[in-house]
Amino acid sequence: MTEPRKPLASWKGQDRYFGEVLSSLTGIFLSGGCSWNRCRMCGYKNDRDTCAKDELIDHMKGQILWMQENYAPDEYQLGKIFTSGSVFDQNEVPLEVLDAFGEFFAGKPLIAESRSEYITENALARLLKSLDKGQAHPLTVAIGLETTNDSIREKSIDKGNTFADFIKAAETAHNAGVGVKAYLMMKPLFLTEKEALEDMETSIREVAPYADMISMNLCTIQGRTELEHYWQKGGFRPPYLWSALKVLREADVPVACDPVGGGFKRGPHNCGTCDKEIVAAINEYSLTADKGVLDDVWEIPCACKKEWEYVLANERSWNMPLTQ
Amino acid sequence: MSLFDARKRDGNARIGNLKLSDEENISTPAVIDTESVFPSLKERGFSNLPPSAGKAEFEKYFTAGEEPTAVHPQNESVEGSVLLFSNWNTVISDARRHAEYMEKLLAVCPPDAARYAPACGLPSNAASLIYLGFDLFDYTAVDLAAVQKKFCTPEGEFDASYMEKGICDCQGCKAGDLKLHNRLALEKEIALARVWIERGQLREFMEMRCRLHAEQVSLLRHVDRRPGFAKNLPVVRSSRFFANSSESMTRAEIAFFEDRVINRFVPGRTDVCVLLPCAARKPYSLSRSHQMFTRVVDGRAHEVIVTSPLGVVPRELELIYPAGHYDVPVTGYWDREESAILVEYLAAYLTKHRYDRVICHLEGGAKEVAKTAAQAVGVELEFTCNDDKPLSQESLRALNNALRESRKRRTDPIRGTLLWQFGELVDTKGWLTKGRYPNQKIYEKKTQIFSIDPETGLLRPTHEGWKYINGYRVWISDGFVPQGDILAPGIADCDPNIREGDEVFVGGEGYQATGKTTMGSDEMKRANRGIAVRVRKTNRK
Repeated sequence: MTEPRKPLASWKGQDRYFGEVLSSLTGIFLSGGCSWNRCRMCGYKNDRDTCAKDELIDHMKGQILWMQENYAPDEYQLGKIFTSGSVFDQNEVPLEVLDAFGEFFAGKPLIAESRSEYITENALARLLKSLDKGQAHPLTVAIGLETTNDSIREKSIDKGNTFADFIKAAETAHNAGVGVKAYLMMKPLFLTEKEALEDMETSIREVAPYADMISMNLCTIQGRTELEHYWQKGGFRPPYLWSALKVLREADVPVACDPVGGGFKRGPHNCGTCDKEIVAAINEYSLTADKGVLDDVWEIPCACKKEWEYVLANERSWNMPLTQ
Repeated sequence: MSLFDARKRDGNARIGNLKLSDEENISTPAVIDTESVFPSLKERGFSNLPPSAGKAEFEKYFTAGEEPTAVHPQNESVEGSVLLFSNWNTVISDARRHAEYMEKLLAVCPPDAARYAPACGLPSNAASLIYLGFDLFDYTAVDLAAVQKKFCTPEGEFDASYMEKGICDCQGCKAGDLKLHNRLALEKEIALARVWIERGQLREFMEMRCRLHAEQVSLLRHVDRRPGFAKNLPVVRSSRFFANSSESMTRAEIAFFEDRVINRFVPGRTDVCVLLPCAARKPYSLSRSHQMFTRVVDGRAHEVIVTSPLGVVPRELELIYPAGHYDVPVTGYWDREESAILVEYLAAYLTKHRYDRVICHLEGGAKEVAKTAAQAVGVELEFTCNDDKPLSQESLRALNNALRESRKRRTDPIRGTLLWQFGELVDTKGWLTKGRYPNQKIYEKKTQIFSIDPETGLLRPTHEGWKYINGYRVWISDGFVPQGDILAPGIADCDPNIREGDEVFVGGEGYQATGKTTMGSDEMKRANRGIAVRVRKTNRK
């Protein structure tokens, strides 16, 4: 008899999905753990349920049960599921659990996160079988591409896959009638503020043809990660909110961004004075895609903008980060 | 390809010349626009590797680049004449790591390479960084401070409004130009540090400058605990030694001096030793109090001075740096930390050099130090100063009485100095000392064999004097006939004990010379540029 178990996290919110603002339910589930498990900034690699497969199925089904007991189906229009790695990795999320996810969100659109290598025709078909009740855009796979630059992805993240892998996975998804959401990461390790900013601009431009939605993550420092180690020794500064703002304003396509940890020293931050206002504007823009709100905060007369401009102009690979 | 050579050293700090081309030279330490001097710095995108990166990341991602050559704490060997200490701006707030990385890198970097600390230089830290061994700085940190509306001074970074407080009247302040002020303040601080290098007193300057910054004080303490930093210290100096802070006690020069007093020096007599207080005047024997002591002792005991911060100074060695050079604030109070260090030196001295009798003519803190040290090593003291006044009639009478049975014997500073300086025990019988102390010359019959350098206390051997000394040789490469001073690339080998400021004998095919070194043995062997020995007198065979 499966016992309900509280997932790692869950919350209700709002999301922009294929141009429409929907109420959403997000769940982060404890799984068997990411098979790759090497990304330098990833703190989820510490979340893994190391038990036998049967037990894992039970534990994960228990988390779905908990969600069922705590959220009524009419409270949300869109489902979003994340594990510590890839929803479509069968070692991490057994097929039985995938079926249970489909049943839980049946009839509603669902966003499921996975590394590109697990996005196969079979895996997608398996989830769609229980999920797809004829709703519009029943499934979207969210893939952490991080950047379209393979050498940055390798050095700064140690992601272990390529932009070509992403493109292939996107094709597989689109062929199966599944949407593609690309996650990009602004300012992973070893990049100057300017390199990070330009890499994001390029990545948005290059990934746009392959993605239905683009989401920009601003690098935050999670506990017990390689990134945290470097940060503690002064080798890393999260991106300025000014950089995020500049990218969002100048992007040719709408880009969603949830500035997690915005304004805190472990998250994207400016000077501490203007942060809150900018974070709020970015959140609003993510939902509405209205650049007017970004233009308003861009003009905030905060002294730290000069500092940011100085950093963009003068930070180098060999003297970075110039600020903390 | 530019060339760097150090012209004047003060420990790891130096005044050097960076030759960029035939026309262009930079005298270091200096702040320069490094990206215009070294355009290759602009072409190093995506090459970041933080100093804390481990071996695996270093092997995979480190690139040294062209001049200036980047260095990383994982480097096991380094080449190049200008070295970029990448991302050093992220290291300097962590004193322990700063000292650890620097000690490691000083050992592997070529000595004749300029060391560039990027985005580090501020008026408040330039002295520390130069003390640690950096030669080149840029304007990045001061310009950033200007953008952040900070007013930079040697005391720290303050709000821009301090510009109006009349603290500074530089061109920048006059024009209300914060950026210009910050740049000038950095240039001025570097110029000032340079003056202290010239004086041989950068340590004193650093001890003063670090006070308002905890991380700089802790840097000083970490550096003092790491032996790698002491390798380049000169054997002696001619400058004063100001022992005005608690960190003065832990200066490597003191440990170095005492190590030789304990392990190289051997007292000329072991029957009676008298422990005497120090004097403000140096050398001690020119002071009124010591003239009185010497008159009373009258050659009937070995005179050994107990002093802070040096510990033990045998009379024969009183001229040698820092014994003849130190100034210490006198309050009559000896703190525990100070006393503990001095006890260690005196205990080691009394263990190594066993006397039949040890007379303690000390008072106050020095007396306590002597008691504790003597007890620790099982030596019994005889006390001749019981009224805390070493110069009182009563004390001097007691001292005289204690020595009544003792026989007279001349103290021999030449013998003592030869031991301290060269580790050589020489029979000086029949040698003649001429001149007024301390400007003296030593003769064997009619041949001069040594002179005393009154500024440092060392002996300068003549060609004839070198016959009494085995070590301290520098061998020049075959087929290399020096004209004037000896350059580092011409040196085949040298005695590993040689430090900067040592008297040496230079030998080679058909060539002999006496001289004084301007660099230590490590640098002599590794450097390809620079003067290694200033030749005093040559003797061609």
